[in-house]
Amino acid sequence: MNSRIDRIILVIFLGITAALAFLPNFVESEYLLRLITVVIFWIGIAGCWNMMSGYTGYIDFGPVVYFGIGSYVVAIAMTKYGIPFFPSLLLSGIMSSLVAFLVGIPTLRLRGAYFAIATFAFAEAMKQITLEFDRTFSVSFFQGSDGITLPISGHDNSFFFYCVLPVTFLVVLAHYFIEHSKFGYGLKAIKEAETAAEISGVNTTANKLGAYVSSAFFLGLFGAIEAYWITYITPSDVFNVQKTVQMVIMTLLGGMGTFLGPVVGATFLTLISEALGARFVEYYLIMIGGIIIVAILIMPNGIIGSLKIRKKFRFI
Amino acid sequence: MDTVFAQTIINGLLLGGVYAAYSAGFSLIFGVMGVVNLAHGELIMLGAFTSYWLFTYFNLDPYLSAPFAMVFLFLFGYVVQKYIINRVIGQPHIMSYILTFGLHLMIANIAIKIWTQDFRSITTSYSGANVAIWGLNIPLARSVTFMVALFMTWGLWFFLMRTETGRAIRATAQDKEVARLMGVDIRNIYAITFGLGAAITGLSGSVMSPFVIISPEMGLEYTIIAFCVVVLGGMGYMPGALVGGLVLGVAQSLAATYLNAGISVAITFIILFIMLVICPKGILGKGTVA
Repeated sequence: MNSRIDRIILVIFLGITAALAFLPNFVESEYLLRLITVVIFWIGIAGCWNMMSGYTGYIDFGPVVYFGIGSYVVAIAMTKYGIPFFPSLLLSGIMSSLVAFLVGIPTLRLRGAYFAIATFAFAEAMKQITLEFDRTFSVSFFQGSDGITLPISGHDNSFFFYCVLPVTFLVVLAHYFIEHSKFGYGLKAIKEAETAAEISGVNTTANKLGAYVSSAFFLGLFGAIEAYWITYITPSDVFNVQKTVQMVIMTLLGGMGTFLGPVVGATFLTLISEALGARFVEYYLIMIGGIIIVAILIMPNGIIGSLKIRKKFRFI
Repeated sequence: MDTVFAQTIINGLLLGGVYAAYSAGFSLIFGVMGVVNLAHGELIMLGAFTSYWLFTYFNLDPYLSAPFAMVFLFLFGYVVQKYIINRVIGQPHIMSYILTFGLHLMIANIAIKIWTQDFRSITTSYSGANVAIWGLNIPLARSVTFMVALFMTWGLWFFLMRTETGRAIRATAQDKEVARLMGVDIRNIYAITFGLGAAITGLSGSVMSPFVIISPEMGLEYTIIAFCVVVLGGMGYMPGALVGGLVLGVAQSLAATYLNAGISVAITFIILFIMLVICPKGILGKGTVA
């Protein structure tokens, strides 16, 4: 029963993605296309966080660091070494996952609040280092608070739509495999009871590291795409803790550790901020604060999580 | 001894005293309830604003308005814990982080709405005053805050060790189920603990007000520093905030003098990260580890 529903949802998901691929041909308004791209972008980013923290229960408070590393790798590769965009994009993903691997080994031993604070500290340290590196060592590499201007792409919005769509597609597909693989069961076991999982033969370190590194890989790709899209990056922008917060809140609103959670949460929050942000600029953040508090108090499992408990669906 | 070096150390210790003063409440709240209070900086902001308004309208000295800030913040903290945070106790910790982050957004932005984003300061007769000893400058207001930090750490220790409520708080921190069976009203103790944490944080915000910039948006950076201080000293271990604050203050001061001011922030986070990885129990090794 459950696996049949899962398969139906997978087919629907593939259908929607295929339909979306033709979208730029039909959407006249550049604004609408951009908005849809942003929604898909955030679905992917929130999904990256969910892949790691949603399934394992290890709350990563510094995922933005891999986003930022992606942005900086692509910017430096393109401006300093003249590498074209797509190879640089791949390089961003690889660099991000490499850093995640090296950082993950010591930090993933920490639990609870300690892991959250360590990841947060690492992200803030990287931000400050990119900001101050040049001034401290009198070189010109990260260009500190001046930021880096990337070559103007000359591509229109649909180019970036087609950059973001496949990456988000892969992230959501990765969720499907997590739900249906031994690897995913391992992650869920870590969330429920790590010690018991370890005793039962789950290689907890390898599983956690796998989830952490793959989430960092995709975040690096997103960071690189955004850098090329906006063409100007500064450390305080790409390492902004606000991005982390947004990923966490989106996933939490949708439902942590569920396949559709980030999709629903990111769509909901992006559209809400688009609707409220323009009309009630002054009250916007107060409202977001209120929405967060109310959501946590009445729906601690998120939209999808609550449905899941009520309807006993595994997936939705 | 080199004067620059001595001055750097003194600046560091005084800065550390300020850090210790506003981090003790964070440590208390984490130690008892496991709540990482991301709205901590807002409590400092409210304390500082209490002093600011009392100074502006009644010309009341910030040191005299400190008790008002304490009482106000105690009530505020008590209500917030009782009606909001208590509802997620027992759920995964992430809920409390997000909930307090929501509170941070609401409090800070409502404050912006009411008080605007203006930077304010309290200028008293002693605001910029220094005492010169052997060619070294010792800022007066910071020294007072340093004293307050020492006194507060002692007072908190005394309260927790020697009073009935303090005993109930310690029992709850150790094992809330057993404490409940022994007749401790857990929810009330939680509310009192948060109120107490908020009160000492408000007090520190109030005694800091003569020499810091007061604005509704000041909170987040204080929350981040409090994080670092408490982890360095050992989370949930009260005197740890004092040790962590002093170590961090001196480290930042040295980095600012001998490297540059910007890199001292980077060093803060590098120290924090290394500390967590090598020794999550803090410098003294007495923090709690989840």
